Amino acid sequence: METPPVKKSIVEIVRATKIYTPDVVALEDISLSITYGEMLFLTGMSGAGKTTLLKLICGMERPDKGLVEVTGKDMNRIKGGETPQLRQQIGMAYQDFKLLPDRTVAQNIAMSMEVSYQNSRTIKKRVIELLQKLRLEHKHDALAGKLSRGEQQRVTIARAVANSPKLILADEPTGNLDYKTTKLVMELFEQCNISGTTILIATHDEGIYNKSESRVLELHSGRLVQPADRTISTPNNMP
Amino acid sequence: MKFFSTILLQTNRNLQKTWPTQFMTLLTVSLSVLIFSFFFLIYTNMIKAGEKLGDDLRLTIYLEEEPVLEMQSQLVRKITNFNPVEEIRFTSRDDAYSRLTTQLGDNVDVLDDLDSSFLPPSIEVYPKKSLSSLAQIKRFSEYLSTLPGAIKVQYGQEWIERFNYFTKLLRIIVLLSGALLILTTTFMVAYTIRLAVVARQAELEILRLLGATNGYIRTPFLIEGFLQGLLGSTLGLLALFFLFRWIDMHFSGPGLLQLVDFAFFSPTIIAIIIAASITLCTGGSFSSLRKFMRI
Repeated sequence: METPPVKKSIVEIVRATKIYTPDVVALEDISLSITYGEMLFLTGMSGAGKTTLLKLICGMERPDKGLVEVTGKDMNRIKGGETPQLRQQIGMAYQDFKLLPDRTVAQNIAMSMEVSYQNSRTIKKRVIELLQKLRLEHKHDALAGKLSRGEQQRVTIARAVANSPKLILADEPTGNLDYKTTKLVMELFEQCNISGTTILIATHDEGIYNKSESRVLELHSGRLVQPADRTISTPNNMP
Repeated sequence: MKFFSTILLQTNRNLQKTWPTQFMTLLTVSLSVLIFSFFFLIYTNMIKAGEKLGDDLRLTIYLEEEPVLEMQSQLVRKITNFNPVEEIRFTSRDDAYSRLTTQLGDNVDVLDDLDSSFLPPSIEVYPKKSLSSLAQIKRFSEYLSTLPGAIKVQYGQEWIERFNYFTKLLRIIVLLSGALLILTTTFMVAYTIRLAVVARQAELEILRLLGATNGYIRTPFLIEGFLQGLLGSTLGLLALFFLFRWIDMHFSGPGLLQLVDFAFFSPTIIAIIIAASITLCTGGSFSSLRKFMRI
């Protein structure tokens, strides 16, 4: 009998622990493997450590113990010059948006493409395309600071997706959105996933992962636990 | 090409945001360049005038008696042994008298009651151009006064000494204004960039998270420094040029300017001043980035 080919991991976390000073244990002994092209959800109560886990993966934080590898690079040992290159491959939609309020919506989205020196025509085209997908085309020239929270959330999602990264990390991407807009955002993520992007979504919103066949991971007090209504799947038992 | 267009776009955005501070820095740089180059211009012209005076430098040794031919060759040997000279010219009592009558022109009758041999014979020594410093001239003059038969040595001591002290004073002012230029341009630009970095901390943080390289973040600031240096020095030099033209128009004619033959900087000096300003401003920007950005 032939053994199925082992899928390559884009994220490999082995027994990672993160403690914030003085002694707040945000994550404890986390082990996780995410394969290329996978889409998965990370759930858990507020303060369970979802954001910290995303921060470890995108290199905003470093683990105190254990190993975090992204695209084969050890985040603890990554050299200064490699960090920007890696970050260009990761699109992060932040819970607090991290938008520049005095820049237009288009300029905010374009930033993620400008840092990788994409040409202006490609950037303009991509920005318009994303704004249309997220029903924000009329806000193209509006200042980000003048938008509602829901609109700002969509802009941060558009910015995360714009540069066609290998990995998208979304922190509560639908927290401020209504049902219809949530659907638009999830459609966008699914399109990205179909084109090969790995997506990790940290969310409280059961509605977006209950009907999904994707893996769901649950964090509880900094530890990965089995969700109540479904098994924690691993890359090896994925459909 | 993409790199440059992206960086220029970023620089343009930065300049639009921080133009009031940038404008003040530009004025400071221009003013510093103007002050420095003003004194430097006077100094270079004084040096030029000094060289011109050096060309005309002549030491006259008045003698008790007219030297005989053998004595003349002995004197020449003694003078040239101490210092190489361009020319040595002997003037007899008669030659001196006839020169004076020529100089007096129509007023020659004032000499009517005087004996034609009342003027002393002399030797005129034209030193080589290598004899440039006042100390060297003084030493040479002291030596000449010890020659046999010498009564007095003259070379316009007072004028040369005054000119020499004035040039020294100018040199100090140029050095001080040069130091002022270095301090103001470097610190002002460094301070402006520091303010820009602090004001845009949030933006820089987001750029880093999005994967901006150090080059992407730093280069626009360095370009700002470069532009401050280029525009600041150009404006300063332009202001000096117009000031020079104004002085030239209103003060030309017989006087100091005519004597000195005042000229503006050569294109090479202009290029050097602009290049130095650019280097200082870009350096100030770079040091500020190293201090406050930690990238």
